[in-house]
Amino acid sequence: MIEVNPQDYDIVLKIKDESDIAVSRQMAKNFAQKMNFSLADVTKIATAVSELARNIYRYAKEGYIYIRKKEAGPEKATTIEILACDKGPGIENVELAVSGGYTTSERSLGLGLAGIRRLMDSFHIESEVGKGTAVIVEKRRRAF
Amino acid sequence: MKSKVVPTIKLYDYLLVPIQIELDDNTVERLQMQILHEIHENDVRGIIIDVSMVDVIDSYISFVLSETAGMAKAMGCHTVLCGIQPQVALTLAQMGIRLKDIITARSLEDAIDILDELE
Repeated sequence: MIEVNPQDYDIVLKIKDESDIAVSRQMAKNFAQKMNFSLADVTKIATAVSELARNIYRYAKEGYIYIRKKEAGPEKATTIEILACDKGPGIENVELAVSGGYTTSERSLGLGLAGIRRLMDSFHIESEVGKGTAVIVEKRRRAF
Repeated sequence: MKSKVVPTIKLYDYLLVPIQIELDDNTVERLQMQILHEIHENDVRGIIIDVSMVDVIDSYISFVLSETAGMAKAMGCHTVLCGIQPQVALTLAQMGIRLKDIITARSLEDAIDILDELE
C-alpha cells in the first residue's frame, strides 16, 4: 500500500463521523478556491472529495484525506492532489467498482468512483482485500 | 414532529422548500422525513425544492432527493427542483447522475407554472 507522510500535505482530514463528509467537502472547496481554480472546477473538486469521504465513512468507518498543491508535468502546471486512504475491507473487484452503476451499499447510486474519475484529470486506485484502499486523484488548474 | 431542518412555505397547494443550509448526509435524511410529514399534514399537491443556494450536490444527496420525490409520488405529489447552479449541473451531468422522478425548472416561477399545468 501507499506510504504517506502527512507532512508533505497542506491539509489532513480525518474521516470518522458522518459530519466529517461535509467538513472535508468544505475544506476542499476553500482550498481549491484559494488555488484559483474556476468555479466549475472548484465544484468538481469539492464533489469528488465528498464522494471520497463518504466511501471512507461508509465502507471503512475511518480513514484520512490528504490534500496538497503541487506543480506537475514539464509545464509545471498548478495541480491539486487528493489522496484518500483507509485500512478498511478493501474492494474485491476494483474494475467493477470503478465502472459505475455497481454498488454493495443499499442506498447508493454506485456512481461515486466512476463519477470521481470523470470529474478529475487523473485517477489512481489501489485496493487490497482485508488491507484497505487508497485513491489518488489530481486536477490541473486551467488558464481562464 | 421535531424541529424542522429547513423552514418551508406553503404556497397555494404547494410546499416550497428553499434549501439554504449545508447538506450533510444526516441533514438530507432528516429533510426527507420532514417533507413527507409536511405532505401528509398540510394536504400538499406539489413540492418545490429550491437549490439555488446549494453549491455541492454529490451522488448521495442526488440519491436522497430522487428517493424523496419517489416517495412523494407515492403520496400523490409531484416534485420540482429549481435553481440548480450551472457548475452543479455540469458536475452532476459529468458524473452521470440522473435525477429520477424529479421535474426540473429554471426558476421558482417556472416551477409553479409547471405544477399548475400538471393539475
